[in-house]
Amino acid sequence: MSANIAEVATKPPVAAAAPRRARRGRTTLEAYLLIGPSLFGFLAFLVAPVVIVFVLSLFSWNLITSPQFVGLANYRRMFTDSQSWHALLNTAYYVVLNIPLQTVLALLLALALNRRMRGTRFFRVVFVLPWMAMPVALGVIWNWIFDPRSGIIDHIISMLGFTGPNWLTSSTWAMPVVASVNVWQYTGYTMLFLLAGLQAIPQQVYEAAALDGVNAWQRFFRITLPLLRPSMFFVLVTNVIGSFQQFDTVFVMTQGGPGQSTTTLNYYIYQQAFQLFHAGYAATLSILLFAVILLVTIVQFRYFRKRTIYDFS
Amino acid sequence: MATKRIGQRVRGTTVYLLLSIGALLSVAPYLMTLNAAFKPQSTLLSTQAWTPAAPATWSNFTELWRQYDMSGFIVHTTIVAGVITIGQLVFTTMSAYAFARLDFPGREPLFWGFIAMMMVPQIVTLIPLFLIMSHLQLIDTYRALILPYVFGTPYGIFLVRQYFQTIPADLEAAARIDGAGTWTILRRIMLPLSKPILATLATITFVNTWNGLLWPLMATSSERDEVVTVGIAALQGQFASELHILLPAAAVALLPLVAIFLLFQRHIVRSIALTGLK
Repeated sequence: MSANIAEVATKPPVAAAAPRRARRGRTTLEAYLLIGPSLFGFLAFLVAPVVIVFVLSLFSWNLITSPQFVGLANYRRMFTDSQSWHALLNTAYYVVLNIPLQTVLALLLALALNRRMRGTRFFRVVFVLPWMAMPVALGVIWNWIFDPRSGIIDHIISMLGFTGPNWLTSSTWAMPVVASVNVWQYTGYTMLFLLAGLQAIPQQVYEAAALDGVNAWQRFFRITLPLLRPSMFFVLVTNVIGSFQQFDTVFVMTQGGPGQSTTTLNYYIYQQAFQLFHAGYAATLSILLFAVILLVTIVQFRYFRKRTIYDFS
Repeated sequence: MATKRIGQRVRGTTVYLLLSIGALLSVAPYLMTLNAAFKPQSTLLSTQAWTPAAPATWSNFTELWRQYDMSGFIVHTTIVAGVITIGQLVFTTMSAYAFARLDFPGREPLFWGFIAMMMVPQIVTLIPLFLIMSHLQLIDTYRALILPYVFGTPYGIFLVRQYFQTIPADLEAAARIDGAGTWTILRRIMLPLSKPILATLATITFVNTWNGLLWPLMATSSERDEVVTVGIAALQGQFASELHILLPAAAVALLPLVAIFLLFQRHIVRSIALTGLK
């Protein structure tokens, strides 16, 4: 100890740097031990697969015999394959059926709950219940709900004196029915985030607006909605990314049919890989899905960054 | 003054009415399924969905269990979801702490590398994962289901790291001066203060694993390790129109999560909202 002090006194800069470097080295070692397992999982099961998928997209492979290098043939095939475009359009249609309806309903619920009244806690709990439902089981239940003979929807329609269409065997109705599962499942969950956003808006903003004689309509469109943008951004980005990956409900309810009318891109990729054993082509299609999701997310980032200027923290 | 009060009353009633309709729609599929599961096969199709199951019977469940290894499915799923959830809690806490608090070379590029991978859709990794797992001859084992997800996800690490950053660093500095090491700080300071976010991570992980179909569908092929989602999908294919088998199975798949949720609902509802704030 005393030797140390003497050293510091005679050669301060060097002597002080050595222990600091030793401490830094220890911290670095410790940090890498701490992130070690996650880093291993990340590299082995996320980064490596992404690299492999790009390599695989250059091969033709039936999962059994050895892969054949085909260059960009899978990509050429993708652009001329009318089914892949159809699946992409179906996916976009699914997202469009889903997101606006779900977001507007969630916003209405959040606005209704964002007031001082009894029962808000009860409603919040009840609205989140659908979120945790297993989509596969929901597919089974929705098949029953929309069944023309025993389903509750057609019972209600016939009580009103009409006849319902054959929902799931109609190429017009199958996709909206599939999308309704997702709207049911995620509206309450989305509402939670929007409610948290509403509650983060300072009351003073509204008080100041009231002094200026702002009416309810202006208050909503000029104050609430713009100030809700950060929450809106979060729910839109995550819900859109999720919706583009629809698989479970389609797999259980329609198997992509009737015809190709509910074949989403994710389902088409699964068919190509595990039913037709076109692993290389499926890899190429999954890159297409990745690219589409990336593009849509970037567009959302751009849109929201330009318009979000408020920060209360 | 009086008309204004009446106006408020009307608006209040309208809000309650709308919320009640929403609440009814949220629970109706659960309740109808549970109700139908207890109806005898003979009245399941002939009565309305809202007619109560009277007399209620367990016969559909007995038949389901006779035809199908439901207990096996539930046990397999519980094992897989349990192991993945515990693993993610431990490994995510460790790495999130390093990213939030320790200063080490490579921290920023690594962290942004994790974040960048959040946008990769699951299907992109699944075909290669299938190849990796077949190469290691792990297809159709628990390890194939567990390994890819047990080490944590970028989303989870991001979530917990953001939360750790809101905990005042002074607490740790004081503990360090008292001679506490990183491990002690994690256990004694960070963990107790991070219960809400860790509860959220545990919930999200368990729910996602319990409900996940695509990877188990690819990675398993025998009754040894098949999970509930795969079982129900197969059931739907096999008994397409036999509701007295399908609906009890759906109820069995849904109810464990509902039970867990109702047990912890106060924490979960509050903490889900946490994840949306920055």
